[in-house]
Amino acid sequence: MGTSMLRADGDGLPQVLGGSSAVSRGDFRRRVQTLRAILDMHPAKRWALICEDSGWFGVGLLALAAHGRSVVLPQAPQAGALKDLHIDAVLTDRPQAFAGFEVVTATEPGAEFTPTDVLLDEATQVEFYTSGSSGAPKCVPKAFAQLRLEVEALERQWGAGLGDAQVTGTVPHYHLYGLLFRVLWPLNAGRPFHASMCLQPFELRAAAGEHCVIVSSPAFLSRLQDYAEMPPAASVSALFSSGAPLPDESAQGLKQGWGRSAIEVYGSTETGGIAWRAWENVEDRPWWRPIIGVDTEIRPEDSGPRLWVRSGCTWGNDWMPSGDLARYGTDGRFALQGRADDVLKFEDKRISLSEMRAELLHHPWVTEAKLLLLPGTRQQLGAVVILTAEGRASLDAQGKRALQDQLRDALRERYEALLIPRKWRFPEALPDNAMGKTEQASLLALFEVQA
Amino acid sequence: MNPLIEELKQLIIDSLDLEDVKPADIDAKAPLFGSGGLGLDSIDALELGVAVQKRYQVKLDANSADTRQHFQSVENLAKFISSQRPA
Repeated sequence: MGTSMLRADGDGLPQVLGGSSAVSRGDFRRRVQTLRAILDMHPAKRWALICEDSGWFGVGLLALAAHGRSVVLPQAPQAGALKDLHIDAVLTDRPQAFAGFEVVTATEPGAEFTPTDVLLDEATQVEFYTSGSSGAPKCVPKAFAQLRLEVEALERQWGAGLGDAQVTGTVPHYHLYGLLFRVLWPLNAGRPFHASMCLQPFELRAAAGEHCVIVSSPAFLSRLQDYAEMPPAASVSALFSSGAPLPDESAQGLKQGWGRSAIEVYGSTETGGIAWRAWENVEDRPWWRPIIGVDTEIRPEDSGPRLWVRSGCTWGNDWMPSGDLARYGTDGRFALQGRADDVLKFEDKRISLSEMRAELLHHPWVTEAKLLLLPGTRQQLGAVVILTAEGRASLDAQGKRALQDQLRDALRERYEALLIPRKWRFPEALPDNAMGKTEQASLLALFEVQA
Repeated sequence: MNPLIEELKQLIIDSLDLEDVKPADIDAKAPLFGSGGLGLDSIDALELGVAVQKRYQVKLDANSADTRQHFQSVENLAKFISSQRPA
């Protein structure tokens, strides 16, 4: 046990920028120590960590790791997502949002003791929750040591070019990508990071400063209307994009219109970072190269040739399967060829339609439900729901919009707003074909008829 | 009734492809994002930002601390757009 993770020098240098958590390196360590002392007096073993502010999130994560207690990161940062996770307490910067739970507030000012090295228990378990193909949220446990090895690998791969750039981003910190790139990697490397996530390009320009690293995703980058909306390329040491492949036109557009290539990182919650690519030309586009320290192998399986991965971030440094099919090209690079399971990628987020369907079926108004991805300029989910008698009575009494708003609210307790179906249909029965199977095409047809 | 507010409500409905929502359903003072209002998500925020800049030719100033406030409600958005228009 016992690693420091945090830089022990440069106490006066900024560590967190903006927000209520803005703080220097030395005071960041004091905050971790102070919170750790508070947690030491608390009997809870499993802690949900939910903070809006990335700085307090970092303090909370390290204090829990110093304390050696299990950290639970739910799929969405809200109380409803804690159902069935068997947590003992919540560590948060928004205590009012967790009524009914044992709550400890993360926003403790650091007490005035000498900054000492914060020692972390490397065996601390951190549980991520993501969508799997089983129909229930899938727990992905990691030891804190794996997270440390992962950020060390990122620093070896890209650190030299980043200097003391400040880290800002458009992705949340409660998924693995944001947690590593926006919070833990900056902490480990001593780079300052921004406490809030940028929602719009102007916020990114405001946050960027003279020298920055941007942690973004295709959902954001593919919606830029004009590359002048981005901070000037000269001020950006690196632009990362992960969560899903960047559309070709965005990748090429950034390179040619903005002046720099985005570094696309391919990985998953289970495996951690696997590989990367940056726009060079059309021919090279499909090929990913492994991140330093990551071994890959393609094994034939029933679903096709599946990519397997081994790195310091996989359990026991052992081989583990990715969720993707792949083929090798030249010099160790590989191209991806679709998912090996039925999990969908939706606006950079993984979503299991069977899991969301199961959630809907819990509702007293729902007797059957089908979820589908609707085509269009913006990907969106549609829900086809067969109502119970109670549900139908409610539809008659309050109308379609009120009914679907309540169903959306029920899902919102568990899912991020982004994943909630935007279009709803309530037919008397599911459209069946002659074989008695509901066809995707007949479900889609329900959404094409506009009143 | 402020015509700009009505226009913005329609712009939100059209640009975000909101089904079953009529302008009258949108409370001009209610928060656009998060719970308790329209419940728009982070992609909606991006797309609405794009639509507003296109339609009204306004520039969202990166250095202004209150730019985020402009998108809090339809009413705030209308105030902001009015303030950007030549008198």
